[in-house]
Amino acid sequence: MKSFIPYFAVAAVLAAIIWAVSFGTLPPADFTFCNGDEIKTVDPAIVTGAPEGRIINALFEGLTRWNPKTLEPEPAVAASWDISDDKLTYTFHLRKNARWSDDTQVTADDFVWSWRRFLHPATGAEYAYELWYIVGAEEFTTGKIKSDFSSVGIKALDRQTLQVQLKHPVPYFLSLVGFYPMFPVNQRCVRKHGYPAWTKPENIVCNGPFRLKFRRIRDRIRLVKSDTYWDRDNVRLNVIDALAVSSSTTMLNLYMTGRADWITTVPVEVIPELMKRPEGDFTPSPFLAVYYYVVNTTKPPLDDKRVRQALALAIDKQQIVDKVARAGQQPARSLVPTEIRKYIDYIPAECGQYNIEEAGRLLAEAGYPGGRGMPKVEILYNTSENHKAIAELLQAQWKRALGVDVRLRNQEWTTYLNSRRQKKYQIARAGWIGDYVDPNTFLDMFVTDSPQNHTGWSNTEYDRLIDFAQQEPDEKKRLAYFHRAERILMDEMPVIPIYFYVSTSMVRSYVKGFYPNIQDVHPLRAIWIEGKGEGGRKSRN
Amino acid sequence: MAITLWVIFTVSFFLMRAVPGGPLDRERSLAPEIEKNLRERYHLDEPIWRQYVRELGNVVRLDLGYSFRLADFRVGEIIAQGFPVSASLGIVAMLFALSLGLTAGIVSAVRRQTIVDVALMLLATVGIALPNFVIAGVMIILFVFIWPLFPAAGWGTLGQLVLPGFCLGAPYAAYIARLMRTGMLEVLSQDYIRTAYAKGLPTRTVVLRHALKTAVLPVVSFLGPATAGILTGSLVIEQIFAIPGLGAHFIQAATGRDYTLAMGLVLIYTTLLYTMNTLVDISYAYLDPRVKLE
Repeated sequence: MKSFIPYFAVAAVLAAIIWAVSFGTLPPADFTFCNGDEIKTVDPAIVTGAPEGRIINALFEGLTRWNPKTLEPEPAVAASWDISDDKLTYTFHLRKNARWSDDTQVTADDFVWSWRRFLHPATGAEYAYELWYIVGAEEFTTGKIKSDFSSVGIKALDRQTLQVQLKHPVPYFLSLVGFYPMFPVNQRCVRKHGYPAWTKPENIVCNGPFRLKFRRIRDRIRLVKSDTYWDRDNVRLNVIDALAVSSSTTMLNLYMTGRADWITTVPVEVIPELMKRPEGDFTPSPFLAVYYYVVNTTKPPLDDKRVRQALALAIDKQQIVDKVARAGQQPARSLVPTEIRKYIDYIPAECGQYNIEEAGRLLAEAGYPGGRGMPKVEILYNTSENHKAIAELLQAQWKRALGVDVRLRNQEWTTYLNSRRQKKYQIARAGWIGDYVDPNTFLDMFVTDSPQNHTGWSNTEYDRLIDFAQQEPDEKKRLAYFHRAERILMDEMPVIPIYFYVSTSMVRSYVKGFYPNIQDVHPLRAIWIEGKGEGGRKSRN
Repeated sequence: MAITLWVIFTVSFFLMRAVPGGPLDRERSLAPEIEKNLRERYHLDEPIWRQYVRELGNVVRLDLGYSFRLADFRVGEIIAQGFPVSASLGIVAMLFALSLGLTAGIVSAVRRQTIVDVALMLLATVGIALPNFVIAGVMIILFVFIWPLFPAAGWGTLGQLVLPGFCLGAPYAAYIARLMRTGMLEVLSQDYIRTAYAKGLPTRTVVLRHALKTAVLPVVSFLGPATAGILTGSLVIEQIFAIPGLGAHFIQAATGRDYTLAMGLVLIYTTLLYTMNTLVDISYAYLDPRVKLE
């Protein structure tokens, strides 16, 4: 026994090394990118995150797909469509050569079945509300109509014709059906294997430009080009590795050593250095997302609009952008990012500019001249060096400008979300990424009964305007309603916008077909590699 | 052991649910109806004792069901994929720790009060004091960027094993070196060692044949819990080197309130710790003539 131990130890070490090295025999991928955290699932119906979106966009395809440059919806599974004059009825004509990876046709019935599943209460789809624009859909999800799908406005007229009936005009509906939660799943596959077994590489049937080769948890997802995709002639990558890397420093290390061609984010600390790189491969571009603070308007002193306005006016947002964010973000004076103007004719309503005198005057008017008598205010943020730095700057700015004392409190992510939801905060850090290019994705958060409205703020005029905007078929009037609503929001200030995010992708110059856009969406089907120098290090992994 | 596991299970079960927030909390608040649907789906709407009985049943059947956060996988699958990775990295780290630690400890005990001793023990103190993400950072700068010997991150080749193995093993090596030195010094002052010297044996034989076996005992008792810890992976090292082991799951499961995965990991860790400590106790019988196995 005694003499057995050393041998055993040697054997264990050898086995461990051999086992570990046995992973290394993968053929290299054409294109490798760092996708962030391990994804939750590849089932389109139940996810909400950006890393999930990148994979699902590669595996599945909806009625439309977004142009990688302009984000315009283009024909995909639907070759064409008709929209009725009242903009309420959409008739999609599916293309004949849209095929599943088991070489069967993608039919209108597949969409009816998939959307029924997506809306079904038992699926628990987080994005289900995105389809509630359809007649009867909300009632179906909330169980008001029990398992009777015939009253929902989604019909297959024949094998290749899908008709959708909306409750009110939705100008971005064509974009919406190209958004990944609305992608179809194969009913035979899902029925046969059940969830989640159908998502395993050996079972999954999909209809997108790529197929799932394998998944290694927290290591990588390997995608290979599909030979049944209708537009396969325009897909140029054959093998893609999506690495599950959560640390941005590790991403940068992999990028710098030539083992990743695209990383989706970089460490904040090195942003100024990266921007000076001669390669010019780090160029942050505007992103449809806003960094803001929410204010709990139910408790004094923040129930007074003048106090909220004073606090907002006393923030030097430029300093925050220059000192902390540092990637060329724009200071925000509206909730809707101003860059939206490049895509849609909407001009966000803005709140006042940095103005200490006016802030002091408002605070005095509210009864706290020079901050005297003002109860202590607390900023809540989720634990992160960045959020902390911003909160500390605010603390200093408010102290200097208004004489207001602010405490800081950080909580770990889930606890923080919970505090926000239960209104156990005064001022809290928040961020919001637009789901689609329309002011609605930002502004409907703050109607009275929105689940995203944690401010306790309620304004009947605001609710009315958002409702009008959502019902209005005329584009000009619709956007005017939104503008008026945002004006109220920026006057009442239950939210204090800080800055608009930028996308911080870093991508090699030999990666083509990769375009900066406001949603930071870069479909893998459009990407190709060109002129990857022989001098560049070959990546084995 | 079953009782230990049951106690751990119970405590973890209630602690997890006592923390604010649950597995369904996310930045995008769910519409109340959708949240209700999800709660039903995961049985979170049931009274807590029903959930407890359900989960206990799952544990007994050795199937904790699906993870909340990594919804496509069963807890068993996640552990089955992650554990071998963490374990083989751990074994390599242990190899570094033992070879470096034992050598350093023995050398500095034999050469006590010399410059070698001081240098080695200083290094060991630094090794204990420096958190391993600092060691990892320095190593990456040195051996990935300045002198590109090893890949920056990833898993699957021999090269990818060296840096994380070393960084993970370094603090353990430092502990082992100090324990070894202390143990060796104590033994070297004992009568039977003096006898061995008196018989005219060379230092080498005395140290390696006669002293080592007794002197190594403190190291062995340290090894039990250390091995359990090292085998289940290190969050920091796995994060920095993008290694698909169990370490990262621990933290993510806790922050994401992934009840099922967190429970699976806690139980695995308990089992390992228990097994390793038992193994250490048994090994005493072989190493120390004063202990007899009943």
